[in-house]
Amino acid sequence: MGLFALKSRQRFAPWLGLVPFLAFCLAFEIIPIIVLVRGSISDSDGVLTFANYQRVSAPLYVRSLWNSIQLSAITASLGTLLGLFIGYAIFNWPSERFRESLIALSDVTTNFAGAPLAFAFIVILGSNGVITLLFERQLGLELYPAFSIYSYSGLVLAYVYFQLPLMVLLIIPAFAGLRREWRESALNLGASTRQYWRRIGMPLLLPSLLSGFILLFANAFGAYATAYTLAGSRLSLVTLQIGFSVTGEVRHEPGVGDALAVVSLITMGMCVLAYQLLNLRMRSEMR
Amino acid sequence: MAYLELQTLDKMFGTLPAVRNLSLAIEKGEFVSLLGPSGCGKTTTLRMIAGFESPDSGQIILDGQDITQLAPNKRGTGMVFQAYALFPNMSVYDNVAFGLDVTGRPKAEIDARVREMLALVRLEQTDKRRPHELSGGQQQRIALARALAIRPRVLLLDEPLSALDAVVRVALRSEIRRIQSELNITTVYVTHDQEEALSISDRVVVMREGVIEQMGTPEEIYRTPQTRFVAAFIGTANQLEATVDGAGTARFHQTILRLPSAPPVGSKIALLVRPESLAVHTTMPADNGRNLLEGVVQTMTFLGAITRIEVLVQGERVLADVSAEERVHLAHKQQVWLSFAPDACQVMQVQS
Amino acid sequence: MNQTARRPSPSGAAMIGLFLAYMLIPIAATYLFSVATKWDATILPEGFTTEWYVTAFNHAYFASSLTNSFIVSLSAVLIGLLLVVPTTYWVHARLTGAKPLLELLMILPFGIPTVVLALALIRVYSFPPLGRSPFLLIGAMIVFSMPFMYRPVSNSLAAINVRILTEAAYNLGASTFQVLGRVIAPNIMPGILSGSLLVFATVFAEFTLANLITGAGFKTFPVLLVEFTRRDGRVAAALAVISFTIAWIASLAILGIARRGKTTHETVRAR
Ligand SMILES: Nc1ncnc2c1ncn2[C@@H]1O[C@H](COP(=O)(O)OP(=O)(O)O)[C@@H](O)[C@H]1O
Ligand SMILES: [Mg+2]
Repeated sequence: MGLFALKSRQRFAPWLGLVPFLAFCLAFEIIPIIVLVRGSISDSDGVLTFANYQRVSAPLYVRSLWNSIQLSAITASLGTLLGLFIGYAIFNWPSERFRESLIALSDVTTNFAGAPLAFAFIVILGSNGVITLLFERQLGLELYPAFSIYSYSGLVLAYVYFQLPLMVLLIIPAFAGLRREWRESALNLGASTRQYWRRIGMPLLLPSLLSGFILLFANAFGAYATAYTLAGSRLSLVTLQIGFSVTGEVRHEPGVGDALAVVSLITMGMCVLAYQLLNLRMRSEMR
Repeated sequence: MAYLELQTLDKMFGTLPAVRNLSLAIEKGEFVSLLGPSGCGKTTTLRMIAGFESPDSGQIILDGQDITQLAPNKRGTGMVFQAYALFPNMSVYDNVAFGLDVTGRPKAEIDARVREMLALVRLEQTDKRRPHELSGGQQQRIALARALAIRPRVLLLDEPLSALDAVVRVALRSEIRRIQSELNITTVYVTHDQEEALSISDRVVVMREGVIEQMGTPEEIYRTPQTRFVAAFIGTANQLEATVDGAGTARFHQTILRLPSAPPVGSKIALLVRPESLAVHTTMPADNGRNLLEGVVQTMTFLGAITRIEVLVQGERVLADVSAEERVHLAHKQQVWLSFAPDACQVMQVQS
Repeated sequence: MNQTARRPSPSGAAMIGLFLAYMLIPIAATYLFSVATKWDATILPEGFTTEWYVTAFNHAYFASSLTNSFIVSLSAVLIGLLLVVPTTYWVHARLTGAKPLLELLMILPFGIPTVVLALALIRVYSFPPLGRSPFLLIGAMIVFSMPFMYRPVSNSLAAINVRILTEAAYNLGASTFQVLGRVIAPNIMPGILSGSLLVFATVFAEFTLANLITGAGFKTFPVLLVEFTRRDGRVAAALAVISFTIAWIASLAILGIARRGKTTHETVRAR
């Protein structure tokens, strides 16, 4: 009999179809996370303790958390702001072909995050980078030590590289969602273009900007490969610290890695949750 | 000079002429409909009046002022779109207040005007609601209130009812006409629905492929269409193609028909007869000066007050309307005779 | 205002110019750098060579890391297909009530930083044969990449109204196999293809999981690349170019599929 014949006989039978997938999620996602969380709040004998979290309050770890938050906030802000204007420029570009190519480019480059991209920045802006040397020998302009691709400023530049196109991809549909009728109604009622943007365009884009910012924040907060390739152990970020606790490159007190992992899990989880909720609300509000 | 004059407007989109050599004079307080099939240039014409498109050539004169090059936000036209034009981030109140607010009117004046407008469209209670909490018909009434709040010189409506369902559509169209009369505001109304245009307008402008095909009162458009296009587009009409074969007579297949006029002998004509002008007989009537067609009933469609029957006359389908009691005597495949007075039909030349 | 004959605004053109420069210069420079003899004070390199590629190809780990990466990527695609596609179909066709649960499970990986995923998996599976093995790596890669498979497949299933199509096919006398093979599969093929390519590309480029789970024990291509960034920039450039090229090819293929199949190409992804 067909797939649908089962229905009347057993109500729960269809759920059996989900078993392989749920089993996989349980084994490779949910149980490991639960074990991690439990591990972070127990000592080596399995007794409940918050010692790990107390250790996280040491200056080294607090600084790594703060650095991560700061880097995420700065690159998410830059990405949001630049993405807003570049997204608008792309959205308004007259040639559809070129517009599609730019969107395709954003699609590809936002996925270039990681080791090869980080290295590409070393190629151009490393201490012997092509642009660094070009500036130095042709223009007499010394980038180093004021700027360094291996430091905070370099990380910002490399992170914005994948943040910006992500924002472009997120904001273009929002621009497309602004109906021509709204703009024309506003003008028809005597408003200037400025007044349209201030009173209607921007308020309607705001949720998209906010949810985009949150997604970008999470995107930067969880990033590891770019920071690892560029900064290594020169800079303290929370993902780098967690990585060190796995590889043993830097000696940590035991349990600290777990606590840091849980803290960043919560941070990122909340971002993704907020992003989802905002999007759900937007979808229901915009009729 | 009329209050609103469109003078020889032309508008191309790329190589496609959307509006061609269009001239139209509208009197103050007049309600004019632009009627025509989709793509005939109605919206483009309206958008040129509002300033969202600029004509390639021609002038637009409003109340003696040439507004052809004026920015849309300086024109003082109130526009109502097909749908979804209310600002979704604002309450109903703020939507209606918007036009007054951006031009810096005092709060008290705005408040009074918004209340007045909401009362005019009979939606006083909805002021705090968001657009998405209103029905489609309510949204369009608010859009109307918003457009009227700024005391526009002309009211422009672009198919404001076509996104609504049938019952609301009929109710709202008389509402629009009531408000228009009350304010005596000059109105240009775009629609592709001929029934709507005929029922609501002082004057109907029928457009086709960017050109005005005919304009006149609803009666004129319906009773004396000047072209076969208008005849086919407005209401239902039989068009019998015949050849003039004598002084005031024409041959339609084997049948000789008497004409209301005497076109040149040998010319090809189309004889326009509305279904309601045809009488249906179950026995052959005596010749009393009416034209007579003989045929067989093909289908009968119940339309409420009348039944529309389709009769096959010498291989062509002819529609006729009968009342309920006449219907009783008719059956499928029955032989019938259709008669109509020569005066009830209209002769149109067919260019070969 | 006027829709006809619009020209790009100067400020828009300037912004797009800067955007293009930002996006393309690092990549173009890497391509050039990988074939340059000497390039340190000029706009363009002074000469060209394939030396760095030869060095890279001859490196002891080059072939093995490339093979390892292909093994991991292809396994992730294959297992991802078997796990995600039937489940997604099932939920669309028979179990629409489970859609929120599935959506949630597919968003969850976005909320887990890859370092945390690696750490959590290592903590639980510290014993053989899983502990720090390629198998664990593949499992981790699937968790990390399954949303990329799910999105396009779910979108194309949503676009065809599986229930009605299935019922219509049954009504016309089709068997279950015929329904799946001749009605559903052809309709969601573009989604399956884009999903597979997306998973392949992201897994191939994923450094964090590989570095933390298997590390030197089972070197993948990105791991080798990072090693070289610290040892020999010329060879690293050659490896980066190979990575970029694979990413470009996969992306262009996805775009080609999207354009031909007109599938709505939704872009929500976090990294
Ligand atoms: N912005 C535009 N760009 C290109 N062609 C257009 C544009 N607006 C309208 N047209 C074309 O002009 C013609 C008239 O359109 P329109 O005025 O919208 O017709 P209507 O409102 O009578 O349906 C149509 O063929 C339409 O495709
Ligand atoms: Mg129109």
